[in-house]
Amino acid sequence: MATERNDIEEALNRRYEAGFVTDIETEYLPPGLSEDVIRQLSAKKHEPQWMTDWRLEAYRHWLTMPVPEWAKLKIGPIDFQSISYYAAPKARPKSLDEVDPKLLETYDKLGVPLHERAKLAGVAVDAVFDSVSVGTTFRKELAAAGVIFCSMSEAIQEHPELVRKYLGSVVPVADNYFAALNCAVFSDGSFVFIPKGVRCPMELSTYFRINAMNTGQFERTLIVAEEGSYVSYLEGCTAPQRDENQLHAAVVELVALDDAQIKYSTVQNWYPGDENGIGGIYNFVTKRGDCRGARSKISWTQVETGSAITWKYPSCVLRGDDSSGEFYSVALTHHAQQADTGTKMIHLGRNTKSKIISKGISAGRGQNTYRGLVKVEKGAEGARNYTQCDSLLIGKKCGAHTFPYIEVKHPSAIVEHEATTSKISDDQLFYCRSRGLGEEDAVSMIVDGFCKQVFKELPMEFAVEAKKLLEVSLEGAVG
Amino acid sequence: MSAPLLQSLEQGFAGLPPAAVQAAQLGEVRRASLAAALGDGLPGARAERWRHTSLRALERRTFSPLAAADESLVAGLARQIADTAPAGADEMPAWLQTLRQLSAQRVPRLVFVNGTFAPALSQLHGLPAEVRFEPLSQALADPARDPRELEFLARRFNAADETFARLNAAFALDGLLLRVPAGVQCAQPVALVMLGAAAEGDRALHLRHLVEVGEGASLDLREYQFAATAQANLCNSLVHVHLRRGARLEHLRVQAEDADAVLLARTDAVLAGEADYGRTDLELGAVLSRHELNVSLQGSGARLRSNGVLLADGRRHLDTRLGVDHAARDTACELTWRGLGAGRGRAVFHGGILIRAGADGTSAQLSNKNLLLSPHAEIDTQPVLEIHADEVKASHGATVGQLDPAALFYLRSRGVPEAQARRQLTEAFCRIVLDDLADTALREQIDALLAQRLAGVGA
Amino acid sequence: MLKIENLHVRVAGKEILKGLSLDVKPGEVHAIMGPNGAGKSTLGNVLAGREGYEITAGTVDFGDKDLLQLEPEERAAEGLFLAFQYPVEIPGVNNTYFLKAALNAQRKYRGQAELDSMQFLKLVREKLRVLHISDELLHRAVNSGFSGGEKKRNEIFQMALLEPRLAILDETDSGLDIDALKMVAEGVNHMRSPDRAFIVITHYQRLLDYIVPDFVHVLAEGRIVESGDKSLAHKLEEHGYAWLDERRVPERSAV
Repeated sequence: MATERNDIEEALNRRYEAGFVTDIETEYLPPGLSEDVIRQLSAKKHEPQWMTDWRLEAYRHWLTMPVPEWAKLKIGPIDFQSISYYAAPKARPKSLDEVDPKLLETYDKLGVPLHERAKLAGVAVDAVFDSVSVGTTFRKELAAAGVIFCSMSEAIQEHPELVRKYLGSVVPVADNYFAALNCAVFSDGSFVFIPKGVRCPMELSTYFRINAMNTGQFERTLIVAEEGSYVSYLEGCTAPQRDENQLHAAVVELVALDDAQIKYSTVQNWYPGDENGIGGIYNFVTKRGDCRGARSKISWTQVETGSAITWKYPSCVLRGDDSSGEFYSVALTHHAQQADTGTKMIHLGRNTKSKIISKGISAGRGQNTYRGLVKVEKGAEGARNYTQCDSLLIGKKCGAHTFPYIEVKHPSAIVEHEATTSKISDDQLFYCRSRGLGEEDAVSMIVDGFCKQVFKELPMEFAVEAKKLLEVSLEGAVG
Repeated sequence: MSAPLLQSLEQGFAGLPPAAVQAAQLGEVRRASLAAALGDGLPGARAERWRHTSLRALERRTFSPLAAADESLVAGLARQIADTAPAGADEMPAWLQTLRQLSAQRVPRLVFVNGTFAPALSQLHGLPAEVRFEPLSQALADPARDPRELEFLARRFNAADETFARLNAAFALDGLLLRVPAGVQCAQPVALVMLGAAAEGDRALHLRHLVEVGEGASLDLREYQFAATAQANLCNSLVHVHLRRGARLEHLRVQAEDADAVLLARTDAVLAGEADYGRTDLELGAVLSRHELNVSLQGSGARLRSNGVLLADGRRHLDTRLGVDHAARDTACELTWRGLGAGRGRAVFHGGILIRAGADGTSAQLSNKNLLLSPHAEIDTQPVLEIHADEVKASHGATVGQLDPAALFYLRSRGVPEAQARRQLTEAFCRIVLDDLADTALREQIDALLAQRLAGVGA
Repeated sequence: MLKIENLHVRVAGKEILKGLSLDVKPGEVHAIMGPNGAGKSTLGNVLAGREGYEITAGTVDFGDKDLLQLEPEERAAEGLFLAFQYPVEIPGVNNTYFLKAALNAQRKYRGQAELDSMQFLKLVREKLRVLHISDELLHRAVNSGFSGGEKKRNEIFQMALLEPRLAILDETDSGLDIDALKMVAEGVNHMRSPDRAFIVITHYQRLLDYIVPDFVHVLAEGRIVESGDKSLAHKLEEHGYAWLDERRVPERSAV
């Protein structure tokens, strides 16, 4: 038994695999936040005046907003003046071929193919390193299909009419504290535009990496799917291992017009902090999809295994008649991680449908909260929702919490919510072990089964990665 | 500038009889509680626990306290109860029907009319001699009383949103004191009846009750809240339930207040090991009724069963908030609640289950189903699980929808006309909460009351 | 009594019945057999008036009434009874209460006096005795927590009590053991009379050993493809439904 315990200890202390630092010359803005800093940031990016004004307006509003009180999260105050709002590799590449080889090496280590030689992988990638995009692959192929996939900075320069039309139209500037901050200081991100009737020929993907010290990452993603179009978009995130907490406050906006479909998948593996809760990313993200058109569909799938604190509620505003929203989530908290995640499904149009499948896994001292809102408004005739929230407990000191809100104002609505919480079943564990499986293998097999409903929504490569991440994150959880 | 509601109560407090306020050395507690309530004001829109229940309309109204009984009113009610002239049972108001039954069955009961003990309507005898069964006002007026007996009145309420508990602590001068000593099995049920009646102006009524069931003792309590005449009073009651080791309490609460009355009720129950608490709540009346039921399962093996129905028709706003706290091993709760939204009604339900670290072996289950029958009605439900232990089985389910079309078709295929089929299914939907009432006669009686109320519910 | 002509029915946009005709006279027992998915249950549901079935063509006369114009409860009051393949569980609705409400609603429709509780209970006990059913059934909620056999038994009991002119038994034999099957058959046989007709829908011939039909029809692909006497059921049992397909091949190629 003692040896087993040691094995577990060892596994527990295994390194966060994405926790390396890339040694690269970086240009920073000094820490601190003011109107001047925002003007400098905007100037560095050669932004038009309207963009600078938009940022300043958001900043002024942010100053008036109270810091949110956390219902279920334990979090120290964040000193916004000690964060640097801009960090970028000094060498500015013109094309991928000029990218610093060290950077390419970084993405290779992460398993993200940036080089065109990685065409085999068949996924178009935009990589964001600290505050800026370092390159987007497959641009020609996408352009041929009429798809725009570029960094947000480029989009502001090259497609200002689209950016002005849609930016902030789903998540307004004053939506919440971190969204307002993001509007003021966002440095880069991805922009996707799928024109009418186009089925995006490949999966699009953005890889976010925080590398520099004492920086925050504030990226902004905007995806617009015109009438009858389809896109599947993947997002991955990592950060090096550091003792301080770093802030990640992103905003993602999705717009689906008539008959359009957006599938948005995330595998979030920010540095979670160590087993004592030192360091790790504060992940405060506002993600919202607007099913603006009739019969449009937005589907969120997320696998959240990283970050010290995760606070995100990818949501759908079901405005178009017959539109539908889906949310599939696996959130795992281990050691001292805290996750407060869920979704909001706002039914406005007629015959709108939503489905929520949430799987929470708590291990160690991890605290996992599902928080959700299903709202059926007065005009939402024939609205349907089905929600299933299951929590799995591994260990004595973790917590699993379920806070759904259901608000229904239309008598033709059918809303169903079910939730269960239980510990990993001794019977199942015993059965697996009696067939010769080790305890950890048995646990990961059972956990994998627990998450199957969500994993099957992920594109294949991501599903494999997600499964592996879960295994790594759970190491040392049993015993 | 505090709200008119609180201003009117502040003025009313000054007019309470000084001796009653000072009794049992509670003057300081009462004043401090009032000051705290006034200081923090009413819970606003941002108060999470009041998210779905706005007090904005209520805070603009004014109420004055009523500290003395209206003798002629009570005498009039007593005559109606004694009058055995046959009246059609259907037309008889619920309060009268119930009081006649209690009287005929000689059920020990305390009746409060507009917040004041009414001896003429009550019956204090009939319980085993060791049982303490009396109005709180009597205990407060007795200078020889051991102050420890009234210790529960000294409790301070610390949270800013506990405005009504604080007001209760400041104002309540009467209520039920019921102590069943260890080992005593009360064969007879005991009733607590709160009657509201029109008095000059709108009144704020405060009642504080204590129900204590000793080790291994058992009790069957029936709590009724009725309107004797049309009125728009505010009734704020606070019930303390203490169940000692192995105690058993079966508690029925029927609220069928006047359609203009405002009710704020709170029940705080504490259960020791192996204690068994069964509750059935019927929320049938009032314009605004908020009930907080907090149950703390503090000893291992303690069990709670709580069933209830919220019938939010008319322009009724019914808000029930359960907070079940599993603090010990092998505790269990089973919560079965049904809600109905019709007319311009709104049913709000919160079912909170907390399982603390160390409360292993706990099982917790909540079912909340709701029928939404009108385009102007609303249902808000929030089942919550907060779990800090791992050897647990916890689940909850909540639905909002309509009658099952398959069941409706089945009934119609047997010849039952659609309207009748709908009513049958609606009754059945609500009736499930009565399943655990062991007393068949009582169950039939409550079933009839429920059916009578549902007959008046249009979609 | 029942005359179905050229009935076409769609469910969720898919045509299930494709021109079904059937003529049932008082006193007759018709068995309808067919493979899974042939539309057997659709027929029962359409006759009873369930929602979700779109009738695109055809007529159904029941007595002197246009059946398709009637609400489900009117059909019941006119004397049509469907024994469900999957009787619905209705927790909270007491069986006795439910049946009394149903019977009295039907009587009212027909201009008969409603039964009071005493009369009703007397009738119920009589029926229970005949069917050898324990009166425990009366105290339970409709089908709630019943086993498969109990549910079917309850359907037969309801039929006995409501005394329909035409009873449709939708796969009442499915999932029953031999004793339960005999009980169901006994209930039906007991009710056979010159002015009452039965349509027995079944997948297997087994039930027809106990309820001997006057006519056997084979329903396949939404139409009655073969009719005959009880010997047809035995042929089907012997050869299986595939036999039908083989026989129909020449017809098809002729078209």
